[in-house]
Amino acid sequence: MSTPTQIAEATRRGVDEMQLGHIKRLQQIADYPPGEWAGMGRAAHQGDDFSGYRFQLAFGAYALALGYRHRLPNAPVMFKSAFSGLVDKLLRADVWMYWKDVSQGGSMFNAHLGRLSEEWDPVARDNIMYSAYLQSTATMFNVLFDDDRYAQPGALSFRFNALFWGHGDKDFSYDQNSLTEVLYWQMVQNGYLGIACEPNCVFQPCNQPAILGFRMHDQLTGGDIADDVVAGYKKAHAEYGHVGENGHYNMLVLEDSKMLVQNAEKYAWVDGWVGAMMNAWNREFVREHYAAQVADVLVEEAGGTLSVVCQAVSIGTDPDTGEEISVDIDADDFGWVAAWVSEMGDEETLAGLLAHADRYMNPTWTDGALMYKRNDTKYDADGHYVRMGPMTGNSLLAYARLNVEDGLWGLYNEPWDRTHFSEPLVVGRSDDVDITTAYFDRDTKQLHLVVSSRGDGPAHIDISNVGEFELDADRGSTRTDRHDDLLRVHLPSGTTAVTLSVPEWTPAS
Amino acid sequence: MDTRLVSVPGRPQFDLVDHHGQPVTIDSYAGQYLLVFFGFTNCAMVCPRALARLTGVLDRLGRDAELIRPLYITVDPERDTPAVMKEFLARTAPTFIGLTGTQGQVDAAKEAFHVFARRKDDPSAPDGYVMPHTAFTYVVDPDGTFAAHFGDAAPDDDIHACLHEFLTASATQ
Repeated sequence: MSTPTQIAEATRRGVDEMQLGHIKRLQQIADYPPGEWAGMGRAAHQGDDFSGYRFQLAFGAYALALGYRHRLPNAPVMFKSAFSGLVDKLLRADVWMYWKDVSQGGSMFNAHLGRLSEEWDPVARDNIMYSAYLQSTATMFNVLFDDDRYAQPGALSFRFNALFWGHGDKDFSYDQNSLTEVLYWQMVQNGYLGIACEPNCVFQPCNQPAILGFRMHDQLTGGDIADDVVAGYKKAHAEYGHVGENGHYNMLVLEDSKMLVQNAEKYAWVDGWVGAMMNAWNREFVREHYAAQVADVLVEEAGGTLSVVCQAVSIGTDPDTGEEISVDIDADDFGWVAAWVSEMGDEETLAGLLAHADRYMNPTWTDGALMYKRNDTKYDADGHYVRMGPMTGNSLLAYARLNVEDGLWGLYNEPWDRTHFSEPLVVGRSDDVDITTAYFDRDTKQLHLVVSSRGDGPAHIDISNVGEFELDADRGSTRTDRHDDLLRVHLPSGTTAVTLSVPEWTPAS
Repeated sequence: MDTRLVSVPGRPQFDLVDHHGQPVTIDSYAGQYLLVFFGFTNCAMVCPRALARLTGVLDRLGRDAELIRPLYITVDPERDTPAVMKEFLARTAPTFIGLTGTQGQVDAAKEAFHVFARRKDDPSAPDGYVMPHTAFTYVVDPDGTFAAHFGDAAPDDDIHACLHEFLTASATQ
């Protein structure tokens, strides 16, 4: 583990208005009362597309992680409640209960399996398209916030009861460690090929977060199961390759027949999803293939903006006519590619994509929160791609904008060491305060903050790990006092740059 | 790799036949530590290497090793009859007891130990196939619960230290 002594430029810059808007949107979602999913509605039934709540919540949490780790590392207060709120929502039955139906199988290419038994427990077998996201976000929360609430017995429990159906209460109790065990041993038992999403379908995209989650577990325990899984995964996939004959990432392997399904159609979502996440553990490989892959899926537009090839998704062949059946659903190609491009640090392409989104995809602000509202129309009158789903509008563009080059790679390979949590950290704030810069310079022993108070009333922030200090603010009416172990800084309305010097500070673990 | 940081869920169970032809379950070995490895006698590399190094670890434990029962469970019961296993182990790892059974019995044991194995065609192999399989070594304590497990790359010293620690703890109880 390491704590970089050189402060990255992105960290010095902090977050801009749009990045702050994405953070606030994810906080908005986290704060929704149970059952409220405003602005998150999906076109497909049962979360059967990539806008399933589980994906929106998990990639929203990843976006927060990237923004916190790389842009505002000393302001956990800007992220913590939002992050835990998203993890908590992953536990809601409306997020995982699709599994009791999907577990029974029945897709046209798995007809030979017949009807499988109904399974309510959403992590007991298969369903890596849910379990990996829960496991990786719960462990990531522990890593980033030094808070082991999801490691407590029963902290990750799936409960459901209904008055008039369901044959009794459902209660499946796990925590982040027992969930990690379940996934790890499923991986072992499948020969490290991966764990299926829908029965028999081992998708390459959804096994990436599993590897990420194993790594988070290792960072907490000192273990090395991620290396074990990566070694096994590489070996198991050696006969297939991670990319197919056309150079694009393979989509899935059918578990029973070991038949590979390549990405023959060059769907952008497959490349974006796998590329963004595989970079964490397989960076050289991902970068080696990036340029050729992305060139196949980008659309250059007049005016310097960029769009993405968004194809209808083939779902099989009509057994009577032999014709291909495809559905023109939103596969979030645009969002997946933006996330991938951000991880690659391809700033020119990312700027082109985000410019397209801002020009044609209806960015919408509510109480300082930024989202791109759902739009089911594919092209506008001028032929610009304008379709927007909630996965892209809430989470993937947030991910792309908050990420930095090799951002997920950094979470995987260069975690904070324990001494990070001994630095001065902004851990509290009044409701009307935003923090847009927050980093600690160990060489000068100074915490640098830019804080905005939006209201007219009194505003404050609370900072931990502060002994003797000097405070320098660019506006005169700042004052301090102590609340328990925290230093409270009272702020005037407007934006204030604060430098807090702690000359006696030494790292502690 | 120290996979002890992720414990093995469930309880180890099997209902098999040993290489003397006697039916055995995990209760047959109650009160002993078990050192369990899954494989198949036609395995070209993984099994011979694992059996050799586990034998070496047991040798280093000296007389303490008498408190440990090493078991080699086949994932290829079609070929690995009791007689075949007896002959193979006498040649390669005589301290091990070989266990086999029907395909259903072996599948149940694999499930209980979370073991992967599948038949894969290989024209260069005996009978034209091999059985790629999980290469974990499991330690089961005298109460019949999973105590530890090690990956194929675990250093011999780690396995030795772990077994020594278990045996020392048992001796002081």
